[in-house]
Amino acid sequence: MVQFNLPKNSKILKGNYFKNKTESSNIKIVHIYRWNPEKNENPREDTFEVDLNKCGNKVLDILNKIKNDLDSSLTFRKSCAHGVCGSCAMNVDGVNTLSCMKSHKDIKGELRIFPLPHLKVIKDLVVDLSILYKQYESIEPWLKTSKSKFQKNEINQSKESREKLDGLYECIMCACCSTSCPSYWWNGESYLGPAVLLQAYRWISDSRDEDKKERLKMVADKLKLYRCHTIMNCTSSCPKGLNPAKAIGSIKKMLATS
Amino acid sequence: MNDLKNPLSPHLQIYRWHISSLLSISHRIAGVINLLALISIFFWVLTLSFGEDNYNLFLLAINSFFGKFVLIGFTWSMSFHLLSGIRHLFWDLGYGFEIKTANISGIIVIVFSFVSTIIFWLLARGFI
Repeated sequence: MVQFNLPKNSKILKGNYFKNKTESSNIKIVHIYRWNPEKNENPREDTFEVDLNKCGNKVLDILNKIKNDLDSSLTFRKSCAHGVCGSCAMNVDGVNTLSCMKSHKDIKGELRIFPLPHLKVIKDLVVDLSILYKQYESIEPWLKTSKSKFQKNEINQSKESREKLDGLYECIMCACCSTSCPSYWWNGESYLGPAVLLQAYRWISDSRDEDKKERLKMVADKLKLYRCHTIMNCTSSCPKGLNPAKAIGSIKKMLATS
Repeated sequence: MNDLKNPLSPHLQIYRWHISSLLSISHRIAGVINLLALISIFFWVLTLSFGEDNYNLFLLAINSFFGKFVLIGFTWSMSFHLLSGIRHLFWDLGYGFEIKTANISGIIVIVFSFVSTIIFWLLARGFI
């Protein structure tokens, strides 16, 4: 059901203000969404004054600096810091992105950081993505072939067939696209969302896979696939520069022409 | 998805609007307005069948400032929905999914929805 307003327990209150203690004048004001599961309180928006003189260029550097210097209780996911693992996906300045890829120098004025939209918050910037992972599992993202596992040779793929996977295999499942999609916000449990549909298309396009027809049949559903209305928030937000909207469009076209 | 204890992270409240998302929701709203326009066309015919007095009353209503505003609004919403629909047809054929292309086609839709509304009314009023 479409609910435009946040539920009562999710309304964001004004939070604490952390003043800069150094003498630097190169300051960035950073607002960050906070919620502590141990306290029975609404989420709040804390404000930090961050000294940019001793800080790297990325938004993740700011978060690390705050955790190290200002408030060690700030909670967020991170791992590789090079846009490969997809852990540090969050909403920076109104658009979902990987905080390790986004430079804070691109953002003029005050910086606002929220968790990925319309998900259950676990703590601060950490959200529950278990529904998305279940949906990912539902498309069976592995190679299906009748060839025996005792076969000694690899399954060959022509250069042209391999090229069909470009722009698809690079996806790291960071969930930036799915959680940017209003359709996914309102129908997150039935609509598969751009990330999972791009993955579905990746397996549909694989020349080595023998289950193409079944895969297409599985996603050909009013709710699973056709809740995509080409809003294109997914493509605008993808930190890897991929195009989930196009992948979904290709699935729709395949179904219409087959 | 709503948990009793855990809050829901903010969505519409914080997400930045793009041309593409704005046009998508406008397309839907225009679709609903077009339905109202269609109903008022039937209503127009209905007042005609109810006799001269009723029809004159209807004419008076649509000739008022508010009436003209509504009629021009209907024309805009029709042309916007039509042009935006053509954009959707191109997507269905598999073209125009790049962000740059989608932004350009979006701007074309907005500009030409106004241009065609103006041309329509100039034609209707006999200026061209």
